[in-house]
Amino acid sequence: MTTAQPLILGEMPSLSKLYMNAAAQAARRRVLGAHGGSTLPDIGHEVRGVRADVGNLTAYQHLIGLTARDTLPAGYLHALTFPLAISVMNRDDFPLPVLGMVHLSNYVEQRAPVLFSDLLDIEARVENLRGHRAGTQLDVIAEIRAAGTQDIRWTGRSIYLAKGVFLPGIDKASPNSHGYGDFRPPDPTAVWQLGVDTGRAYAAVSGDFNPIHLSVLSAKALGMRRSIAHGMYLASRALADVGPVKGETFGWDVTFEAPVFLPGRVALEITTDERPGGGWQRSNYVAWNPRSGRRHFSGSVTPF
Amino acid sequence: MSANGQPDNGPKEFTGPAAMGEPQPLRRAVIVGGNRIPFARSGGAYTKSSNQDMLTAALDGLIARFGLQDERIGEVAAGAVLKHSRDFNLTREAVLGSALSAETPAYDLQQACATGLETVLGLANKIKLGQIESAIAAGVDSASDAPIAVSEGLREVLLDLNRAKTLTQRLQVLSRLRPKDLAPDAPGTGEPRTGLSMGEHQALTTAQWNISRESQDELAFNSHRNLAAAYDSGFFDDLLTPYRGLAKDSNLRPDTTLEKLASLNPVFGKSLGAEATMTAGNSTPLTDGASTVLLASEEWAQSRDLPMLATVRDGEAAAVDFVHGKDGLLMAPAFAVPRLLARNGLTLDDFDFFEIHEAFAGTVLSTLAAWEDEEFGRTRLGLDSAFGTIDRSRLNVNGSSLAAGHPFAATGGRIVASLAKMLHAKGTVDGRPARGLISICAAGGQGVVAILEAA
Repeated sequence: MTTAQPLILGEMPSLSKLYMNAAAQAARRRVLGAHGGSTLPDIGHEVRGVRADVGNLTAYQHLIGLTARDTLPAGYLHALTFPLAISVMNRDDFPLPVLGMVHLSNYVEQRAPVLFSDLLDIEARVENLRGHRAGTQLDVIAEIRAAGTQDIRWTGRSIYLAKGVFLPGIDKASPNSHGYGDFRPPDPTAVWQLGVDTGRAYAAVSGDFNPIHLSVLSAKALGMRRSIAHGMYLASRALADVGPVKGETFGWDVTFEAPVFLPGRVALEITTDERPGGGWQRSNYVAWNPRSGRRHFSGSVTPF
Repeated sequence: MSANGQPDNGPKEFTGPAAMGEPQPLRRAVIVGGNRIPFARSGGAYTKSSNQDMLTAALDGLIARFGLQDERIGEVAAGAVLKHSRDFNLTREAVLGSALSAETPAYDLQQACATGLETVLGLANKIKLGQIESAIAAGVDSASDAPIAVSEGLREVLLDLNRAKTLTQRLQVLSRLRPKDLAPDAPGTGEPRTGLSMGEHQALTTAQWNISRESQDELAFNSHRNLAAAYDSGFFDDLLTPYRGLAKDSNLRPDTTLEKLASLNPVFGKSLGAEATMTAGNSTPLTDGASTVLLASEEWAQSRDLPMLATVRDGEAAAVDFVHGKDGLLMAPAFAVPRLLARNGLTLDDFDFFEIHEAFAGTVLSTLAAWEDEEFGRTRLGLDSAFGTIDRSRLNVNGSSLAAGHPFAATGGRIVASLAKMLHAKGTVDGRPARGLISICAAGGQGVVAILEAA
């Protein structure tokens, strides 16, 4: 819910600079003490007249396992909005540390197809700061419109958790049982072999060079035992595996659970719900570690 | 003579325009005979032989058997599933290297494991339509001499290097090369859309249809026993030419027993909820080999005093939506056969031989189980009840792929030539020509099936 006009940036911010800045800010806050506020900035960031790079698009499509069509994949549009989301969370009046945030879940509405040649206005903002049993969570809202119009083509809501950060005045949510224990792996419909360079390959096409995805060393520096796959890489592959049955407009959600350490194998099951008279109603996907049986993520694709 | 000086041995009259408004009855396409080389387990006798080597060897034998030296055949079609990019004209190159007339046209075809049968159906149709008088359908595959590609990274660098114009550009391109780019990219048996190997896919289907380990081992045992008996009786004497020291399929184990098969450890489906039942004994091994079939119009065969073993009555292709498990990867023939038989007004009781390709014992048994299943018949095939049951004593009576091996594109030709010979020997049954059904499953959820009848 923005009350203020968005801040218009001259160009898409650079993610690597934003990560550097976030690291510097984290160090500064460690010295000067945490940011005092318990409210989110109510101003969004916007870049106008953005156009996808076709070479980068093709590389993304091939990496995800998609045919290189002229339409921008819903996961690619998420990657396009991501630098703006990080730039909002890099603001001095943003109360949580950006580095180390955990992506809990993601909701996308692909309201109309977007072509790679389309000029786009992209906006991101943050809202809904609230407690979580393990820290503090918030929503990042991103929106893609046809340039110069109010014609929304794509919206995304990403829910992030600042683990172990508890702000004054924000209640801790009651511990809800997520039910890891209930999951019994079904027979897979697909198995992915993810190489050790999966994180680097997705970083190259998405621009998200978060060190936890790049190498064992860079991940260890941030407290992980090995590098992990990008959540949106995994979710985008699942979306690709659902196939063309979803049409050009759809809703797409994903909830992340255990991280996928690299290299590794991921088992996946995709099920389809049909309408009583026949025809696609919904696709559900769930992915797990075929060795441990731990669930990595699950979600669905529905008609918009 | 036609305009370009080549002898005109095509149809004497062009009958197309005369047929306007009045459908012409189709001619018959007959199977004259076939020839293959023995199939070899990969890494065995044919390790260093290329697809073109093996296809030419099988063609040479066919030419010798039927006196086709210098003959201009109407068309030759063949294919390989694992194919080098340099073999872009594999079949034509094999023809040029054979004793056939160099004026014999040829084309390559690729439909995974259905390649061989599809070459037979396509060429038979051309003969039936009067477009050609004679044809050779063939297939070949080598799992030993498989193409290995360079990595995507190296490939892109090499292609960009080729496009670079200046030294600076070339150096820039080369600087992108990383040590990992030098690792080669070997072909896998995984389905591109699921990442599961064919064996893992079949394991899901085998479990879904509750196919027991014992019944799979029994099918494998029968395959070896039947193939061994066929060799002993001389059945293959006029179907096979020795090559590279092999005179029999090297995978054949005449002395195998049910106990030996039962002692093997499962190799597929080990991480499924159900018991793992698929072993190296009841799955086909990777194999090298080639097969050919000579097809003709009746006039062409008669004028050369060649045998006419069987006719190609009809064929049907089907595909299933396997990607998210609606049907098993190799279950397309379960749909193709009911459609084919309905079109021809036949039931499973009207056949004297069933040749169901044994990709895995579980594939054959899952197909039979689906046909015997009431619910499958009603909900998936749109019938009133189950599709039907086959007489097991008519199934793969001279052995099939579990014993002979399965060089992907060569399996269709092996089955067609053997079945044609069996039908010819059987002759007439209850006043009708002896009849055989062929069913071949293929990667990508596909299947091709056909009906042959004694000529």
